[in-house]
Amino acid sequence: MKASERRECWGLLLMDFKTYVDQACRAAEEFVNIYYETMDKRRRALIRLYLDKATLIWNGNVVTGLEALNNFFEMLPSSEFQVNMLDCQPVHEQATQAQTTVLVVTSGTVKFDGNKQHFFNQTFLLTAQSTPNNTVWKIASDCFRFQDWASS
Amino acid sequence: MYSTLQKDRTNRTEEYNDSGSLPRGSNRNWSSFRGNFGKRNPRDHGGYEPWPSHHQEHDGNMVMRDVQEDPQVRWTPYTIRHKNRRVKWHNEDHIQRAVWRNRKPLEREVGDNTKDGTPGSWFKITIPYGRKYDKTWLMNSIQSHCSVPFTPVDFHYVKDWARFFVQDAGPASALRDVSYKICGVENQKISIIVDPSAEPYSVQNKLEPEEMEQLKGNLAMSKRYDVSQQALDLQTLRFDPDLVDHDIDIILNRRSCMAATLQIIETNFPKLLSLNLCNNKLYRLDGLSDIIQKAPTIKILNLSKNELNSTWEVGKMKGLKLEELWLEGNPLCNTFRDQSTYIRSDGQELPSPIIVDIDIPYLIKPCKVRKKGKTTMRYQRRFYQYYFIYDSGDRRGLLGAYHDEAYFSLSIPFNPEDSARSSLCEYVKDNRNIKKLKDPYLRVQLLKHTKHDIVLSLCVLPRTQHDFSSFLVDMWYQTVRYCCLLFVFKVVGKSQSSVRAFTRTFIIVPVSNSSLCIVNDQLFLRDTTPNETQSPFFMPVPTPTSRSMPTVSQEQQEMVQSFSTQSGMNLEWSQKCLQDNEWNYTRAGQAFTTLKVRSWESSGFKAGCFWAFRKARMVEPSGLGMKLRELALLTS
Repeated sequence: MKASERRECWGLLLMDFKTYVDQACRAAEEFVNIYYETMDKRRRALIRLYLDKATLIWNGNVVTGLEALNNFFEMLPSSEFQVNMLDCQPVHEQATQAQTTVLVVTSGTVKFDGNKQHFFNQTFLLTAQSTPNNTVWKIASDCFRFQDWASS
Repeated sequence: MYSTLQKDRTNRTEEYNDSGSLPRGSNRNWSSFRGNFGKRNPRDHGGYEPWPSHHQEHDGNMVMRDVQEDPQVRWTPYTIRHKNRRVKWHNEDHIQRAVWRNRKPLEREVGDNTKDGTPGSWFKITIPYGRKYDKTWLMNSIQSHCSVPFTPVDFHYVKDWARFFVQDAGPASALRDVSYKICGVENQKISIIVDPSAEPYSVQNKLEPEEMEQLKGNLAMSKRYDVSQQALDLQTLRFDPDLVDHDIDIILNRRSCMAATLQIIETNFPKLLSLNLCNNKLYRLDGLSDIIQKAPTIKILNLSKNELNSTWEVGKMKGLKLEELWLEGNPLCNTFRDQSTYIRSDGQELPSPIIVDIDIPYLIKPCKVRKKGKTTMRYQRRFYQYYFIYDSGDRRGLLGAYHDEAYFSLSIPFNPEDSARSSLCEYVKDNRNIKKLKDPYLRVQLLKHTKHDIVLSLCVLPRTQHDFSSFLVDMWYQTVRYCCLLFVFKVVGKSQSSVRAFTRTFIIVPVSNSSLCIVNDQLFLRDTTPNETQSPFFMPVPTPTSRSMPTVSQEQQEMVQSFSTQSGMNLEWSQKCLQDNEWNYTRAGQAFTTLKVRSWESSGFKAGCFWAFRKARMVEPSGLGMKLRELALLTS
């Protein structure tokens, strides 16, 4: 493995913890910005952020696979998201079999067209897909819930 | 004002003549009546003018020639003739007549001025001295007296007279009837004058020729126009990058933009079969109704995700012979939740119902609990075990639950205005909200790594008591690449004074059958929403073994009370524990402590079933909307 590759690979012990966490945070921040902006303004492109076999659990409703996700997002009314909280952790490789993964948790408010505003919580599992030029993050799992789901 | 209009119109007329592309109007007649309407003979429709025989024998080209012979006939709506307002139409030649077969006989009784009966023609409605009435009152009165609903366009005052425009002779003649029916304040009767007129200003196409060319080019592109399917996709047309780049703002809600678009459709896609107008914020279909003449071949019309409020709007499209009509995502869908109605056209039922899938334009109903498989149940039990220890006052027992190199962090919502609030202040120092926290050093510090660090930090967090009845688990198992499980809880956790809610995310690696191994743990704490605090906190959790608690003596009650205080469990559980240990207080206490320590080794709790498995309410996850079988267009 080349030295540069080694630096890129997160799971390896050579990298120090601080850098590891740092990278996870940066990836999470960047991703979250892109995700919600795409969701609000370019909804049709949202599906590109998901892996082929990604799963979405949206207020308890399960949506699996790109086609179902596509239909789902098309059907969802237009949205306005406001993220107030973001936390992330690198996922231990034992859970991911050496796929670099980051756990991202967000919270904030969302207003869907024609509906009242809700507080929401969302949890993503992001997987890194490395190309020679850069690293692309895609969603492997997505779990979304309104905080007041019980009353909806 | 009108002279300018006339100029514009003349120019456009010239432009049309120059381009030489005549609408193949009559040709369209043929294509719309050929085809699969086997059961219906067009000529049998009530009121429909029979085709003259020479039309039947000719193919499209011949028919076109007929149109060429009378060029002025086509363009009359666009020119003003001050002397002769009457517009002559040749009955046989034009499909426009076809649309009139549904009109009530009323129209045949209208005065000379409205005899032209051209659909799409405009009428000017004048109310003498209209300025002295309150506009809202006036328009409402007129609407209520008028037998036909109408949409006033370009209401304005000309000196003291009020004026507006309406389209089509139906509303126009109905308005004429309203004359002298409404009384003003001084009990005088209000008269209404109806005259044919040119297109009102706001409705006219205002695009420059170059812009029209650009738009035409855009619509003809393969991304929009599918030749094989004769389908034109005008979804979200306003934000098309090509149009935006050229500064062309096609807001289809505006009559002028719609007119321009329809013009292009008429000249370039006259045989259009499918039109997609999804997501254009349409709330009125007055402009679109012109398409009945311009592209009558349309069979598939997609109006989903617009702002249509009532079926009356959709009824304006009545002249089209639709096979599919998409209306999902419109406000009007609210009224159709569980009814089925039929599409009617020409006042007759279609041979076979049109099946339209309509989803309620709400978000999918949140699903409380998904069906739980064995795996879920098993892990849920382990979570109850986890929280039992978490609530117990000594969290060191959790060491066994974590992987050696696990991660943990917690966060709370950041609200600058209430950072002084006491409710979550105990957590503020550990708050890792990286949206607000930018210091990289702190970001690392607040992420706990290794199980010892984690349990240490958990131990210093405030004491809690969880309401197991409010647990909700979203869990899935990924087999492809991950052998991990994700849990999200929503629980009301109580700590001394305040009730809070949280969402906890766990990533778990299965190690052995009865144990948990948490590799990632993220805790998000927040205040409760109003409905969450409604459920009583100490809701007795049903135990699977005993339904009714046997009566206890006074002494025993006191034992229960003190045991509860000492152990931190609620009264029901304390009583159970004591009962299972035959009311031997010491033994019960030992059993309780032993269980705490050994909780991760044992798979069951033989001593008294402390774990009440909350009977999950099996709610069928709601599907993605409901299907309606048919949709009716209510005739007025």
